[in-house]
Amino acid sequence: MITKEIIKMYDTIIVGGGVAGLGAAVYCGRFELKTLVLADKIGGTIILTGDIYNYPGFKKISGMELADKIKEHAGDYGIEIKEEKVSKIEKHGNFFKVNGYKTKTIIFATGTEWRKLNVRGEKEFSGKGVHYCSLCDGVLYKNKIVCVVGGSDSAAKEALMLTQWAKKVYIIYRKEKIRAEPINLKRVQESKKIEVINNTNVVSIKGDKFVNAVVFDKAYKGSKEFKLDAVFVEIGHIPVSGLAKGIGVKLNDKNEIIVDKDSKTNIKGFYACGDVVDSKFKQAITGVAEGVIAAYNAYEYLTKELPV
Amino acid sequence: MAKVIVYSTDMCPWCHKAKDFLKEHKIKFEDKNVGEDDAARDEMAEKSGQMGVPVIDIGGEIIIGFDIEAIKKALKI
Repeated sequence: MITKEIIKMYDTIIVGGGVAGLGAAVYCGRFELKTLVLADKIGGTIILTGDIYNYPGFKKISGMELADKIKEHAGDYGIEIKEEKVSKIEKHGNFFKVNGYKTKTIIFATGTEWRKLNVRGEKEFSGKGVHYCSLCDGVLYKNKIVCVVGGSDSAAKEALMLTQWAKKVYIIYRKEKIRAEPINLKRVQESKKIEVINNTNVVSIKGDKFVNAVVFDKAYKGSKEFKLDAVFVEIGHIPVSGLAKGIGVKLNDKNEIIVDKDSKTNIKGFYACGDVVDSKFKQAITGVAEGVIAAYNAYEYLTKELPV
Repeated sequence: MAKVIVYSTDMCPWCHKAKDFLKEHKIKFEDKNVGEDDAARDEMAEKSGQMGVPVIDIGGEIIIGFDIEAIKKALKI
């Protein structure tokens, strides 16, 4: 077993085990960089998305399978992967320390986490009727009444998925009209089980042992309180950039890491890629590409710039 | 060896990960599909106070989610 003592210094540590980080790992392997991938859960958020239809070369593949394939690919190059939550990053002159492991460069690919509603009852009933993954927990609500909070394409897809099990699915959206892609919008409109409640916010979640109602900010069919069995929250994601910020990496106003086209940040030797960076269009394929670019530029820096 | 029960659903990725982890460590477990078996679902809810998967029962110790550290600790591996 490789211990922190035996390996004195890594060429790069990839923080995050989603497809962007794993994609970077494949190229780090090809460049023969001494590489460690650290993530509390390998696979990243893509494994919770069900089937993917837009990763070139695969007409249809599950998120889990795609992540596993890239992980296996990285493994072919002998990349070391540890399921370990990163809690500390420090900068010391020309090198960094990640959870105590020394490294010359960092490729930061921590992605995003679910945005919370931040309403009363959300935390209390988390896993007890408040859920963030319909793929995981939707099946527990067979013949029940559920809602999806949110108006994005993801929210529409979650609602459509839930119709497999629930007898009724409400989409609760704060604005005038949900923003689903045309193909999904049509499916929502055609579904007999889905009803969209627009211009409405959920202000609290109520229950006993489990959720039994939500409270809206305005009356719906004569009442602000609305009986249901589960709330699936799908109101977007927030970047997990706190550890980068802690050592002075620059963020934009959305807390995304600012990178250039070479996946470089303002700190030498610190690269970032995937959903955590300030790119407009966040897809598996773009995240992987950014990871590959980060790996290349880390390699360039290690071989040409970094003082020995 | 403590009796291990995994409450899971077919499509939940973390359930698959949890079961793979147990298999890798050659831990025998009973898999209860709470998506199909309503009695198992109610049993899970009763034991854990949760309606989310996976829930892992290791000799009466209830672990919510795929929490590797907690699983290792409970199994002493």
